[in-house]
Amino acid sequence: MKTSARITAIALSGLALSLGAHAQEVYRDMTPTIDYGSKPQASDDTRHTNTYQYWKDNAKIDPARASSLTEFWTVNWKYKDAPFNDTLHGGHDAQDRGQELYKQLNAKGAFAACLGAKKGELKGLRLQYPQFRKDMNRVVGLEAMIEHCADKEGMKLVNGSYDNSAVSVYITAFSNGMPMKIDVSKGPLKESFENGKKLFHTKAGWTNFSCATCHVSVVGKNLRGQTPTTHYGDVAHWPTWRTKDELQSLHVRFTECNRNAGIQPLQLGSKEYTDIEVFMTALSNGYPVVNPSQRD
Amino acid sequence: MKITLLALALGGLTAAVPAVADEALPSNLLYDASKEKKTLWPQPVKNSGELKYNEHRQDLSKWPTLSYEDKRPTRKPEKVQLQEPLNGNIENGKKLAMNTQRGNCWACHAMPGDPQPGSGGPAFLNIGTWGYTDAHMYQQIWDRRVANPGTEMPPFGTNGVLSDQDVRDIVAFLQSLK
Repeated sequence: MKTSARITAIALSGLALSLGAHAQEVYRDMTPTIDYGSKPQASDDTRHTNTYQYWKDNAKIDPARASSLTEFWTVNWKYKDAPFNDTLHGGHDAQDRGQELYKQLNAKGAFAACLGAKKGELKGLRLQYPQFRKDMNRVVGLEAMIEHCADKEGMKLVNGSYDNSAVSVYITAFSNGMPMKIDVSKGPLKESFENGKKLFHTKAGWTNFSCATCHVSVVGKNLRGQTPTTHYGDVAHWPTWRTKDELQSLHVRFTECNRNAGIQPLQLGSKEYTDIEVFMTALSNGYPVVNPSQRD
Repeated sequence: MKITLLALALGGLTAAVPAVADEALPSNLLYDASKEKKTLWPQPVKNSGELKYNEHRQDLSKWPTLSYEDKRPTRKPEKVQLQEPLNGNIENGKKLAMNTQRGNCWACHAMPGDPQPGSGGPAFLNIGTWGYTDAHMYQQIWDRRVANPGTEMPPFGTNGVLSDQDVRDIVAFLQSLK
């Protein structure tokens, strides 16, 4: 390396350092972080809202509690899931659509392999996401990976689009009943989890709200038509069919959360949303996958 | 954004790091400067691999976002002094307080006549009898962080959501609740 080039490199690394330091210095209001531990799981909610006992088993939801105006939030919307909710809904249409698309995409078996399915086996595949991809050098959720792998097969399935989420529903349903399990105790997923945890508690927007404002500080309070529920155990049923007749991925839901809270939405599949997805997925560890699913 | 960051870093070598100009927005917002409202939201369309983007009802990019590129700090708490007399319009204050797209006070605070009262904060059914001064209420609405740094209540004045007259009107409405 020539001297001049070395000096430039040193100067540039100095710049990077000062940038990093600057990033640390920008002051943002935070909602105090609760203790999530290093190996979070859905049952840790006993330390938070202590409602886990009412929603841990989908088959044993108390109908009286689920229909109570003041207590329904303690069921964490699980009465919307099978077997308590046995209706057919748009999520099932999406599953059919996902199957059609999957068969086209996987005609040669390359799509399943790209997603990481061993010998084309879809059972349990949902539990491997989000994951760190060395080839992409980033953490990806299942929907981001569906977009990536469909692209290789010449099909455009934009992250968050109906067809992308439909394929995700189709794949996810194979893991029905299997407990979520991502390991955030080390490596890139730990880093992503920690970043997501911080973002979840960072205040933003004209309201100066964080995600935690609703799901920690005023959880269970009535905000006129809405009652925020615990953020534990919430990821196992996504993508979901919303009663406003819309199939939504988790990231699409984040944009709606943001707008409801007066916060500028970010791009789907962004590092920020992926980090929050990792954080929330870890908080669903141990809770079984339910899909197709329906939510208000 | 990258160019701005570099400029910031270069500026930082010689002087204190300047505040990021408003136009320096992160690159990963759902945002289109050519649209009237600028802030966009994604809508899945049945049996389509594309998203439809719609304009949100207001430009939300003016406040700090959750983007890692966003270097705008939370605005500092503002201590303000109400210039008396109050001159608030009770009817207009009610329209602001009990309106989801303006003050939206009723999201958290129960108010007379609301069939689904909020419970995120204290009920304001008779707040006019509590003995608060106009100046105290004005400060609380403008920026409650001055009294309680960890409050969940939005700093309506500091964040430019409500004007001086808006806050006066809401104070007048709240004082009328007896």
